[in-house]
This record gives sequence, C-alpha cells and structure tokens, in this order.
Amino acid sequence: MSAEATARPEAAIEVIDVSRWYGNVVAVNGISFALGSGITGLLGPNGAGKTTLLNMMAGFLKPSAGDVRVLGAPAFGTPEMYRQVALVPEREAVYDFLTGYQFVLLSAQLHELPDPEEAALEALRLVEMTDAADRATGGYSKGMKQRIKVAAALVHDPEVLLLDEPFNGMDPRQRLQMMELLRRMATEGRTILFSSHILEEVERLSDNVLVVVAGRLAAAGDFRAIRKLMTDRPHSFTIRSSDNRALARALMAEESVFGIELADGTLMVRTNELAAFVVAAPRAAQEAGASLFEVRPEDESLESVFDYLVTR
Amino acid sequence: MTWLVLTLTLRQLLGQRRVLFLAAVAALPLVAAIIYRASSGEAEAAEFAAEVVLYGIIVTVLLPLTAVLLSTAALGSEIEDGTIVYLLSKPGERWRILAGKLLAAWGATTAIVVASALVGGVVALAGEDEWAILGGFVVALAVGSLAYSSLFLMLSLFTSRALLAGIAYAFIWEGVITNFAPGVQRFSIREYTASIAEAVADPAPWVFEADLGTTYSVILVVIVTGVAAALAVRRLSRFELSGEA
Repeated sequence: MSAEATARPEAAIEVIDVSRWYGNVVAVNGISFALGSGITGLLGPNGAGKTTLLNMMAGFLKPSAGDVRVLGAPAFGTPEMYRQVALVPEREAVYDFLTGYQFVLLSAQLHELPDPEEAALEALRLVEMTDAADRATGGYSKGMKQRIKVAAALVHDPEVLLLDEPFNGMDPRQRLQMMELLRRMATEGRTILFSSHILEEVERLSDNVLVVVAGRLAAAGDFRAIRKLMTDRPHSFTIRSSDNRALARALMAEESVFGIELADGTLMVRTNELAAFVVAAPRAAQEAGASLFEVRPEDESLESVFDYLVTR
Repeated sequence: MTWLVLTLTLRQLLGQRRVLFLAAVAALPLVAAIIYRASSGEAEAAEFAAEVVLYGIIVTVLLPLTAVLLSTAALGSEIEDGTIVYLLSKPGERWRILAGKLLAAWGATTAIVVASALVGGVVALAGEDEWAILGGFVVALAVGSLAYSSLFLMLSLFTSRALLAGIAYAFIWEGVITNFAPGVQRFSIREYTASIAEAVADPAPWVFEADLGTTYSVILVVIVTGVAAALAVRRLSRFELSGEA
C-alpha cells in the first residue's frame, strides 16, 4: 500500500519526504503523507517516532529534511497557524496552581478571542469538565488532566487538531466520551490526527491510519485493509499436547498449516491463515486422539506485528 | 499577551520554594545592620551602609542570586516540564511572551532586592543624614536587575543548565576572576550597578567609590540587556521541543 493512499484533495496536512534526526539518531526517516478532514490514527510502538512527527506538524520541531505544511503554510516558524491548529501534548504537566477554568480561560485569552469566558465555558462543557472546573488542576487525575488539555486546545475551535496519546490515563467511560467528541468534531469537517500505541483505540476511532515503526511509515490507508494484513501474516504457535507426534501428523494434513517442528516436547506450528488454524487445531487434536495442554501464540506483540508490516 | 504571561509567571515564581530561600537571604542585610548598630563599630554609618550592606551583601550576593534563581525559573521551568507549549502554540509575536517573562523576572527580582536594601539601609543609616546613598543604590539595583534578568533569561533558552551557568558567571567570573584580572571588570554587571549607584548618589569618595565610569556602565547595561533579550526572542521564535520519539 502506498502512502499516497491517504492523500486527499485539499489536504490540511502535507508531510513531504520528511526526516528528522538528533545527532546520529534518526527519529523519522523519509515519511510522506497527506491528510484531509476526518480522523486519522497515528499508530506505532513506543519510540517509533510518533511524537517527533506530531511535533513537526505542530510547528515545534523543524524537519532535518523535507517539508511539513499545515493549511498550506510551513508548520515551523508560522505562529499564525495556531489560529486554526491546536496541539494536545503527551506530557501531563499543566499549570498546577490554576483551576481548570482558569487554565482554559488562559488559553482563550492568549488566543485573544472576543469572548474568552464564554469560549472557556463551552470548551469545558464539551469535555464534561464543568463540575471540576473550579478545582486546581494540580489535584486532577491523569484522565482529568488529559481532558482539561483537550478543552484548552479546543477553546478557539481549531480546524486541525493534533493529539499525542490523548487516551492515556483515561478510564473506559472517559475514553468513550472523548472518542465520541472527536468523532463529532470530525463530522464537522475538521482534520484530527491522534497518536496511539494501542491498536484497539485506533480501530475504534478511525478508518484511516498511519503506521509508524522505527521512524518509517510502515503502512498508510484504510484501517481494515491494514488490519487484514496484520491478521493474514504468518503466525507461529507453540503447542503442548498428550501426543505431539500424532498431533503433528494430523496438523500436516491441514491446509492452513505450512510448517511444523517437533522439539523438546513441544510443537512449533506455523500458519498463514489464522482464522482457519484456530478451527483446525482442535479438530486435528480430536482426530489424533491427543489432549491439548497449551496453545500459545509466539509473536503476538504489537512490535512483531509492526515488524512484519515493515519487512513484508 | 504580555500582561497574561507576566501575571502567570509571577504566580509561578511566587509558588516556588526558591522564593522562601531568597527571602531568608534577603534578611541578611537587616541582620548585618542590626549587628552594626548594636556594636557601634568604627566605620561611619554611611560607609558601612554603602560598602557592607548595599554593595557587599546586596549588589554582590543578593542581586545576582535572586536574578539567577528567578530568571532561570521564569522560562527554564516551563521548558523543563513542557508547559511552554501552552504559550508557544498561540498566534502572535514571540517577543510578547519574552517581554512578559522578562518583566516578571525583573519585577520580582527588583522587589526583593529593593525591599532588602530599604530595610537594611534604613536600619544602618537611622539617625544619619546620608539618605542619598540609599536612593542611589535603589535606582542602581533596579537597573542592574534588568541586565541580570535579561542575561539569565536568555541563558535558560540556550541551556538546560542555565542556573549553573548563571551562578558561575555571577560568583566565579564577577566574584573571583574580575578581582584578579582588573581589566575584565569592564564585563561585569555588578560593576555597572556599582557605578550607577555612585553616579546617582554622588557620595563622598570615602563613603563609596566605583571602579568604572558611569557613561560606559550605562551603555554596557543597555547593550547587555538589549542583546540578551534579542537573542532570547530569536531563540524563542525558533524554539524546538527537546527530542522525544
């Protein structure tokens, strides 16, 4: 799948062959994509370069090479961009001595909005933080801090919203509420990009996804197509049973199995059709008269899925 | 924007523990003045107030210490904890953010050192007719704290070790090196401050005498303040968040 798959007309964000390195460390390596309105998930394991990429789009990092343009202007060194762009940073710190209302109001005042008090109250309503608005943010839970940061970012009604790991620390109810808010904002024609290292968050919220691994764009486009790629990749299972030899013979006959190793009292089975294998394995065990003690996937970590996407 | 940043920064600074430490140090001139009054020392009151209380303790120690602690906290702590993003992700010129930070650091520094000078000076000079020397130092402290604040604020944008660098400048360069190499006194905000105090108070030479000329000191204060502020604005305009993947 090419990066161009996500390109849309009138892209709000254009990332053109962008790299960023710190000394000898390459954090982002030759990434290109374009985003229009709607929600896009920026998915990748920790340390993949998601924050670096978001910071470049938010104008807080200059690309070492390539161009990052937001709403047609270079993201770096264009403060006027913030009239239509907002960033919710990953870092938790807010001004602890301010109340939630004062924090959001400060954001509205710094934006020089015509009615900052009303804008602050509206933003607090959007994230359902009105009840806690008069408490100092220093006493907020992690989830509340996330929401107050989102309120401060939304206060000027931005066209482009960049969120770095916005669901960190939120409980399931807060997460659902925030997802609903972001969906609603996307239907209003905004461009929303959020980063996450959790596959399920991205799956639930966005159809469009950018997968970043080790600084490279591993995949981009429709989430379902990428999910299928992840599912259809070769999987390995370690199996322990009461009769490994008989089970191995039975599994050899299964179409979904393309490799078996027998060693140290365990079977290592490889399949490239996960769904079929899940059905075939117990059936083969029954045919072989073997009891299954353990069926353990060997490489289900998110990193291995990403690694597969990068190296496929 | 400048006013918002100014009030925000003052609240940040006042909430820090270092202000308590500075308040304790700011009481030292008063303690010295009380000891002088109680011991009826040999020095004249005006000379003691100028050389020991105002120059020896306040200009030499309290002023740079207060300026470095408050100025590096004004921006440095925001950069360190990441809250600087909330100021920089707004439209508008960057110099307005820096102006707010500088005014806050300068105002807080001046308030502490001038209060300390007034309290210590009044006790040391009580019953004497030498108030001009106190007035001269008050003016000079306000000017000196502007130069120090601008310099240390600029440092906090260029290094995460601005506090260390500022202390090294104030207490190693100004405190030690300029004593052994008199030629480099020309590059000392402490000496500019002393020179301005002398020019405003016009005391008898036995009361207080500065080493540098007034015109030269005023020009250098303007240059140091202006260049440091310009470098800081330039740096803030090209500000990058530190490397996180």
